[in-house]
Amino acid sequence: MLRFALLISFALGTGCDRGPSKSEAATAPAITPTGTPTGTPTGTLTPTGTPTAPMGPPTGAVKTTSFGAGVTVAEVTSIDKILATPEAFKGKTVKVEGMVIDVCPKRGCWFEIAGASAGQKMKFKVTDGEMVFPIDSKGMYASAQGQVSVKDLTLDESKQYAEDQAKEYGKPYDPASITKPMQIVRLDGTGAVFRDKK
Amino acid sequence: MRWRHLFRVLHRDIGYTCVALTLAYGLSGLAVNHIDDWNPNYKFAEREVDLGPLPAGTLDAQEKFVVAALELDARTVRGHFAETETLLRIFLTDGQEAAIDIRTGKGTLKTTTTRAVLFEVNSLHLNNLKGVWTYVADIFALALIILALTGASMMKGDRGIVGRGKYFIGAGLVVPIGFIIYLYSG
Repeated sequence: MLRFALLISFALGTGCDRGPSKSEAATAPAITPTGTPTGTPTGTLTPTGTPTAPMGPPTGAVKTTSFGAGVTVAEVTSIDKILATPEAFKGKTVKVEGMVIDVCPKRGCWFEIAGASAGQKMKFKVTDGEMVFPIDSKGMYASAQGQVSVKDLTLDESKQYAEDQAKEYGKPYDPASITKPMQIVRLDGTGAVFRDKK
Repeated sequence: MRWRHLFRVLHRDIGYTCVALTLAYGLSGLAVNHIDDWNPNYKFAEREVDLGPLPAGTLDAQEKFVVAALELDARTVRGHFAETETLLRIFLTDGQEAAIDIRTGKGTLKTTTTRAVLFEVNSLHLNNLKGVWTYVADIFALALIILALTGASMMKGDRGIVGRGKYFIGAGLVVPIGFIIYLYSG
């Protein structure tokens, strides 16, 4: 019995020492409202991920954190371009790059990447638990790969979406503020790499 | 029967081994069950700030002004984003963020802190670590199965599974089965 206990203890200890792995599974949805904005995200985010290097105050070398299947597409597609003509990119696998400006506050299941213009941003969404993006990633630079998803919502769906978003961000929700149907453009994420410098 | 003795020994020693992780997973389970009502990993604080109108200039310059005015450590600044034409968001390490209206200088400074213990146990329970931890969690799951089987069969007679034990097992089944029936009845 002692031998069994030692074996279990060793297994647990090994797991703790090894810490996060370099890659995780992936596949899921990502998002980006192009219709009526639902409000300004407050910025409350979620935990862990798959760090390949620690994060924190910028120092010398660029530190990176890899999620999911990583990024394999060579060409970078402009977020602004996708948002301008989403139907042209619908279903295509693309790589986008930009600053992480928000992360899912509770489950870490999405993050938003900034485009080049003011207010332009795209949501990168994964299934809960497949990748977990750390809450302290805001301001880091992301390369993210996934499939462009475009969904046209009805007015009722838009209101429901806005209500869900407001709840997630802890913001007040006014149904009257949603007056027309929204189009959700997001990236169904398969992998991402965060860098602490551009 | 000798196998009952073996079950008791297994149940006891695997139980001891699983104490820490069972408590951790149980605590995390309570925390994440109510994720719709609170954030089980982080605490957020936000304070209003009023810096007065920001000086005209580039967003870089305005970022520097805000950082200096709020007496933030410039080394922790990661960058900024123009959320709108007038709202400048500045991101710092550790989840800090300043969101300032560049016309009025009014805005908020948000800070994020990790919930001690809960953050760690949630990371284990939800397998955010992935990799090797997945196998450790598998071992733990198998251990729980062994605990259930050895626990249910270690006693014999009236106090065993064929005696009062079957009623307790039945009671434990009724609740989840009731919910499953409810799930599919709608």
